[in-house]
Amino acid sequence: MEKENWINEILNSTNGMIHVAPNEGLYSKIEQKIFLNKNVVSIKTVWLVAASIVVLISLNISALQNKKVTTNETSEAIIASTLNQSNQLY
Amino acid sequence: MTQNKDNFEKLYYDFNNLVYTIALNYLQNIEDAEEITQDVFLQIHQSLHKFENKSELKTWIYRITINKSLDFIKMKSSKKRLFIFGNKSQNESEYLNSSNFEHPGVLMENQENAKILFLAITSLTENQKTAFILSKVDGLSNPEIASIMELSISSVESLVFRAKNTLKEKLAEKFKEYRKK
Repeated sequence: MEKENWINEILNSTNGMIHVAPNEGLYSKIEQKIFLNKNVVSIKTVWLVAASIVVLISLNISALQNKKVTTNETSEAIIASTLNQSNQLY
Repeated sequence: MTQNKDNFEKLYYDFNNLVYTIALNYLQNIEDAEEITQDVFLQIHQSLHKFENKSELKTWIYRITINKSLDFIKMKSSKKRLFIFGNKSQNESEYLNSSNFEHPGVLMENQENAKILFLAITSLTENQKTAFILSKVDGLSNPEIASIMELSISSVESLVFRAKNTLKEKLAEKFKEYRKK
């Protein structure tokens, strides 16, 4: 019985509890954090930009490689066209 | 822009006591509760435009506060686990091992008993802890708790019932120590 009374006292110890106020300077700290957050770029944006740059560079490299192959083919074609088709030297 | 700032400031002063007290109930530490209060209002500021009025503003703020508090406890417990070479603590009571926490909202004459209760609360599961804190400590009704926890009223009743039973078992063990004094 004593035990049960004691347990009930403990369970009821928060009766009449009130909401309490935080430190008065807390709002200023929150304002500062809001200001800092506005000036920070999100991680997601950073990754998107990085991915875009990688894609752009890859496309450029691919385009350059294609151009090089095309240039080689063009050179060979020019050389081939200057050769005498009839095989007559005179 | 000034109006938005004014609105936010008003919102802060309307709800700061609620947020801070809830955080204190979970974290049982004034500095940690202040940190969580800051995080909650930061999130409110960032997400207020997304708030779709599907629930009341107060309910939404309760949810943010509870989630932030529980995440904080988990984070602190993980750090402590790493420190003691990966031994898993059975619950978060290793973090909340503050049996001397005096909740500033509790009546003076109940402080000693409340210390014992808050220590025992740390042994509850997350849902039981939330249901008990909102019901017994914060004095909310079961429908209000159900709305916050997004559960049915019967689920909330079950959680509160189980929480009380668990606490009674813990307190029964504690009584033996109390008797020896």
